[in-house]
Amino acid sequence: MLRESSQRNGTLESLNLHGAVDDSDSGVSQHSLLIAFTEAAVRQTDALSALRKRITSELGRQELVDAAGVVANFQRMVRIADGCGIPLDDFTKDASADWREDLGLHQFASAANTA
Amino acid sequence: MTTDITTIAAPFAYTESAWPIPPRIRDAHIRSWERLAAPGEWWSGAERVSIAVETRRAAALLDGQAHHVADPDAGLADLPEAAIFAIHKLIGDLPNVSSEWYQELIDAEGMSDARYIELLGVLVHVWSVDEFHRALSLPLEPLPAPLAGEPTAHRPVGLADHGSWPPTLAAADLAPSESDIYEGMPRAANVLAAMSLHPDSVRWLNDLFEAHYLSWQDMSDYQTQARALSRPQLELMASRVSALNECFY
Repeated sequence: MLRESSQRNGTLESLNLHGAVDDSDSGVSQHSLLIAFTEAAVRQTDALSALRKRITSELGRQELVDAAGVVANFQRMVRIADGCGIPLDDFTKDASADWREDLGLHQFASAANTA
Repeated sequence: MTTDITTIAAPFAYTESAWPIPPRIRDAHIRSWERLAAPGEWWSGAERVSIAVETRRAAALLDGQAHHVADPDAGLADLPEAAIFAIHKLIGDLPNVSSEWYQELIDAEGMSDARYIELLGVLVHVWSVDEFHRALSLPLEPLPAPLAGEPTAHRPVGLADHGSWPPTLAAADLAPSESDIYEGMPRAANVLAAMSLHPDSVRWLNDLFEAHYLSWQDMSDYQTQARALSRPQLELMASRVSALNECFY
């Protein structure tokens, strides 16, 4: 799908974000399934249909609706944030400094717009 | 080619859906279409629906489905060239949006900071409702017929530079006509204040945020499970969407 291929080649891999949210790190139930669904929904890949079925069978139908809602919500929020060049909030700026560095978030192009 | 704009008696009828979509989501989607169709502060109803049409066109191009885009000329208004450019940039090239791009855009013919923020408000909410449908493989809802009327050209008082590209409203500076937009919170997160130049976009954001995710009150309550997914599961997915979009904020 073009939406998938339109992602800038290699960017996410270079940021090691896949590793940063690996199963062994997060401790979140059904982590891998939810991450896979999120990626498929954002990128509109062919895996989406099968992942919907897996969430329905392994988590539930209401959980699938919740998952679609999260994707829809944050597909909106990121465009507001990056479309307005908003600064980090005072209440998160200091608290998140270390892990922003660890995750390599400063390599995002939008980091230049968010002081 | 057929239009995707219509007047329907029962919009967002999810009764045929395989998924248990709760009334809070359907109701918020209906309100979204009502907001979309009505004249705004800086764009007419026809222009706002045109922004929605162009948003869908940008999304379809992103997915290589340009042939599925309905006729955008069916009773709608022409948009400034800069507005069309902005819509495609925000949908398809978000990581490369910059302050220089913003400044050039609002200085372009037919644009201003306020017109940009209202355009952004329409775009993100239509995009969000459509993304919900795409995630569940539901057909996109036909866009509403625009309502007649003139934009009000209301610009809030109290706007100031708080670090975002557009001027924004601090909670302490809200005039009575905008006093509801932060829902009584003494301090608004920057992402909530970002579109306060167009207060109705903030109201729209509050409405869909609660329907799709959590209420602002639930956001600060880590003990109550408000959704079928747990709070860590919700936060995990939210973080992933942000990372996939390379959103630093």
